[in-house]
Amino acid sequence: MLTLMLLALGGIVVRLAFLQVRDNPELEALGMQQRVRTVTLPARRGEILDRFGVPLAVTREARDIYVDPRYVVDARSEAGTIADVLDLREREVRATLESDGTFAYVDRQVDLEVADRLDALGLPGIGFLEVPKRYYPAGALAPQVLGFVNVDGAGAAGLESAYDDILAGTPGERTAELSADGLPISSGLDTVVEPVPGSTMHTTLDRQMQYMVQAALERAVRSNGALGGTAVVMDPITREVLAMATFPGFDPNAYSDAPIDAMRNRAVTDAFEPGSVNKIITAAAALETGAVSLDERFRVASSMKVGPFTIRDSHEHPIESMTIGDIITESSNIGAAMIAEQVGSVTLGSFMERFGYGRPTGVGFPGEAAGALLPGDQWDEVIRATVSYGQGISVTPLQMANVYATIADRGLWMQPTIVRGFERPDGTFDEAEVRRTRRVVRPDTAQLLTSMLASAVQEGTGVNAQIPGYQVAGKTGTSRKLDDNGHYVQRYHASFAGFLPAADPRVVIAVSIDEPRTVYGGLAAAPLFQEIARYAIQRLAIPAAPPVAFTPRAQGSS
Amino acid sequence: MDVVAGRVWVDERRPIRHLDPTLLIVTAVLVVIGLFAIYSATSQTLRADGFDPFSRVNKQAVTAVLGLVALLVLATFDYRFLKVYAGFIYGATLVGLLVLRIPGLAASDTGTSNYIDIPGVNLLQISPSEFAKIGLIVILAAMLSELRSPVPTVPDLIRVVGVAGLTMLLVFVNVEIGTTIALAAITVGILVVAGTQAKHLIALAVGALVLIVLAFQLNVVEEYQVERLLTVFDSGSVSEDARYNLEQSVIAVGSGGMFGRGFLQGSQTNLDYVPEQHTDFIFTVVGEEFGFFGSAFVLSLFALLLWRAIRIAYLSKDGFGTYLAAGVASMFAIQIFVNIGMVIGIMPITGIPLPFLSYGGTAMLVNFVAVGILLNVHMRRFK
Repeated sequence: MLTLMLLALGGIVVRLAFLQVRDNPELEALGMQQRVRTVTLPARRGEILDRFGVPLAVTREARDIYVDPRYVVDARSEAGTIADVLDLREREVRATLESDGTFAYVDRQVDLEVADRLDALGLPGIGFLEVPKRYYPAGALAPQVLGFVNVDGAGAAGLESAYDDILAGTPGERTAELSADGLPISSGLDTVVEPVPGSTMHTTLDRQMQYMVQAALERAVRSNGALGGTAVVMDPITREVLAMATFPGFDPNAYSDAPIDAMRNRAVTDAFEPGSVNKIITAAAALETGAVSLDERFRVASSMKVGPFTIRDSHEHPIESMTIGDIITESSNIGAAMIAEQVGSVTLGSFMERFGYGRPTGVGFPGEAAGALLPGDQWDEVIRATVSYGQGISVTPLQMANVYATIADRGLWMQPTIVRGFERPDGTFDEAEVRRTRRVVRPDTAQLLTSMLASAVQEGTGVNAQIPGYQVAGKTGTSRKLDDNGHYVQRYHASFAGFLPAADPRVVIAVSIDEPRTVYGGLAAAPLFQEIARYAIQRLAIPAAPPVAFTPRAQGSS
Repeated sequence: MDVVAGRVWVDERRPIRHLDPTLLIVTAVLVVIGLFAIYSATSQTLRADGFDPFSRVNKQAVTAVLGLVALLVLATFDYRFLKVYAGFIYGATLVGLLVLRIPGLAASDTGTSNYIDIPGVNLLQISPSEFAKIGLIVILAAMLSELRSPVPTVPDLIRVVGVAGLTMLLVFVNVEIGTTIALAAITVGILVVAGTQAKHLIALAVGALVLIVLAFQLNVVEEYQVERLLTVFDSGSVSEDARYNLEQSVIAVGSGGMFGRGFLQGSQTNLDYVPEQHTDFIFTVVGEEFGFFGSAFVLSLFALLLWRAIRIAYLSKDGFGTYLAAGVASMFAIQIFVNIGMVIGIMPITGIPLPFLSYGGTAMLVNFVAVGILLNVHMRRFK
């Protein structure tokens, strides 16, 4: 019996020696491996502010709710309760609760108070994860510009996506020895790499202005029975975008419910044929090159044969004698085509390029469209004629706004911007990059163009844009749309672009309305321009300026 | 009777001079090591859950003090009185086991009810099966010391097996395989010391084997217990939980290395990776925090304990004392070897506590009682 005990004792000692001496390194590593976990510490995402520091996008604490289906006792009743609290479909919740495996999301980024209510019920198998959630305090304000952040915390659209790396910051890491229950312990290894919070984005948007512009745009689209529309408000000197609106919009707090179409920032991503607003470039090329003089008369019919086609003015009229000023004021297609003929394709094409057509403005927005512009040396006479009044090319609303800002700013083209800069967590401010500029026309040419635009509003097609006490310079546009096969159809795009006051421009506004029942830019778009301009006068406290003189006009024009 | 006992005590005051200090010191050191190990295994979790980190240790310490009192009481009167009351003691432990079968009295928080809750007394949850070990030792020692032949005859053996079998059956139906094994070891140990013939022992072993096979066939054994038993033999065929138990305890012991990670420094221990760590798997704390040398030290303490018990059996002036000591030695031996063997992965996983180290009130009390019996026999070894 004693021998037996000694044998047993000896066996235990030998086994202990094996485990603790021979296998020690291996077993110790095995233990370490199961205890040490690395957890990602999310970095706080930077806020997005408007030009006055009002937050447009903030990050709040939320909860991801998951289930370990192994612990669910009664999936049917539990699914009912969860569906009630979280406002989900009971059938889907039940499917999740009954799924295989040990982890499944029930719902993600749930507001704290809702999650707490569910937590209080103490349902078996349900767990909560602390996660950040992006929140847009102003709701559907500039949603297409700001974009949104997906459930994994990555910017998925708009500025959130374009500047994701700056906003997101750098996640940290915690490597710790955890207990079997997942709790860290005091005596164990515990190293933390602190996360670096993201920078705060200062945009050029004015929240108040944006709100008002969106509201006005929505009213205009609805009252014109249109499909949608865009509006861009810009400072002509700094080229800072004060408001950029696209209707229809959506609430980025519930982006998953939004139609894909409503998510496009059409002012930047969609190019359309500009129509007559483009005539100002034709006039600019003519005056800058001296191809046409101010008092030169054109004999303008209401239609003209160009190659195999016939082009027309919007209204029938007898042959008229018109100056270049008349042609802009009355928005004559035939007149524009005659000017273009004198300017020449190559010259006109290069001016359009210098005004920014055919390539993105570089405003810093993802998916910015370049617009379509064929180089001048590839134009035939048909293209030259149609391009002169804005058909057969395409531009974005932002490009168009920047053309008018260039004229307002005495002929200087400048890259527009929507991001002023980023404030780092330590408070240092990184200005946005220096922007490109280039001279497009001389200041005196710009002044002449401004006169013609002022005349168009005062006496021509843009009378609906007039504001008592302020001289507005602007141009209407109505373009026919193309169908999917590239044929022109009886559907129109109405636009108006302009600035004020004409003598000392402080704000540029470009609006466009898609398929208004009222068809014409002067009817559908000019009143919207006027409403936004009136608000801008108040908001920006724009003083009135003395009127500019009009360029010579032919007698008898109507 | 009392008067006689009193006179004996007064006249023979000498027994107090024949204490076994080695046995006492070994016991005390084991208890103290146990308290440290329990603190290490429980304090982190208790603190994390908002409880007093000392609450488990304190409870164990109080039980140890109660155990010491029980030891002293047992050492004071002549152990031969146990022989007089052997039938009564045995009967009482059987009643204790039967009480577990009465619904309402058994505390059932884990599904199997091995405890009786005494209302109003939070400190003591009585586990009757622990006392059953003492009851069996006493009755078997009494029976075998009164044999008329020099070695147990077949009728003697039948009576012994009947008595032991009854206790084992009652413990077994409470799903306490570990205790059943301990009871079997006690029976075999005493029978061997009593000079039972080898052929009879073999016959008993075969009978036991048949019974075990039958038990499995009739599904008397819970499935999880089978699983845990099988873990040691074939780690591929058993459930995650059972393998997890073994893996974690082997990792913990192996992480200790030569000298251990230091008191309270055992990550496996502090982090709750080893299930049942303060009770059945307490040796993992020793292994991880005190290493090979610490484990060897604790083993040598147990070896000393066993040596003293066997020595006392040898020195006893009568058969009853010898059998008592042999029974206690068998009880300690089986628990030490099965428990440590299980922790280091060479024995199947059975619920069996490590004497003096494992957390648990009744077991502690019973171990002290057992040492009290050893001391008693030792003190009165002179005719």
